[in-house]
Amino acid sequence: MNGENIEKSAFNWITAPSDKVDVDSEYYCQTRDIFEARNDRVPENLIKMGLDESLSYIVYAMSGELGNNAFDHNLGNWPDVPGVFFAFDYDGKNGVLVIADRGIGVLNSLREAIPDLTDEKKALEIAFTKKISSRVLENRGNGLKFIKSNVLEKNLFLQFVSGKTQVSLNHEMKITETASPVRGCLVILKF
Amino acid sequence: MKIEIKKFGDKLVSRPAGREAFMAMESYLLKDLPKDEPIEIDFFGVKALTPSWADEVVTKIAEKFENVKLLNTENATVQATLKTLREYSGLKI
Repeated sequence: MNGENIEKSAFNWITAPSDKVDVDSEYYCQTRDIFEARNDRVPENLIKMGLDESLSYIVYAMSGELGNNAFDHNLGNWPDVPGVFFAFDYDGKNGVLVIADRGIGVLNSLREAIPDLTDEKKALEIAFTKKISSRVLENRGNGLKFIKSNVLEKNLFLQFVSGKTQVSLNHEMKITETASPVRGCLVILKF
Repeated sequence: MKIEIKKFGDKLVSRPAGREAFMAMESYLLKDLPKDEPIEIDFFGVKALTPSWADEVVTKIAEKFENVKLLNTENATVQATLKTLREYSGLKI
């Protein structure tokens, strides 16, 4: 599946009605173990496809943070279909990696730590720039800052959609309303 | 005491895996060591590291011991992870 198809498939997967979600897809990872086993093959595959070794491991580490985030913040609380849609491609020039989950989304997740938070844009701004985690007992939460730092330093592009709001990140971060809202989170990394 | 991180794997990503690694370290490597014991955390051979894994290990060791050194941190993901932890997780080493 090429990059464009990966993005379309992820969008279709995340926006499908609950009873129409393709759980037989080869890109569906129902549990963290399945996601991690597939993610573990990412760097070696990217290197074989011709991507620089150092960047391959950076993409892998970013993917690991994003996928594990989905499980960390939704465990035991998935609204319908648990797990993530996870796919990637590199054609020798351009790479794309997609992770989509049908979880509670960033705003609902952060509300556990900041109950009066009501604004989706503010929630995403906090998630990418402030030291906080919605997993109160863990009181950590720096994965998205790591993602942001790598995107800036390696000149990558990240689109992160949660609900009706999207973050577009490369040399600067823009938070806007999206015309194509999703449940949970849809992340597209281009490298 | 030198802790060779590679012995826990060369691709270190998730928070649960980091937690498990730290529990093993506490049970076998760090048990009964005094607070001022010199600790070296060696990243030689590590191919990928994330803040989630490292926060469960590096941050906790740095909180527990006064004299912690980091060795062989050249890998790009190790560098990026340590930068994130210093900025957002209060890591002082």
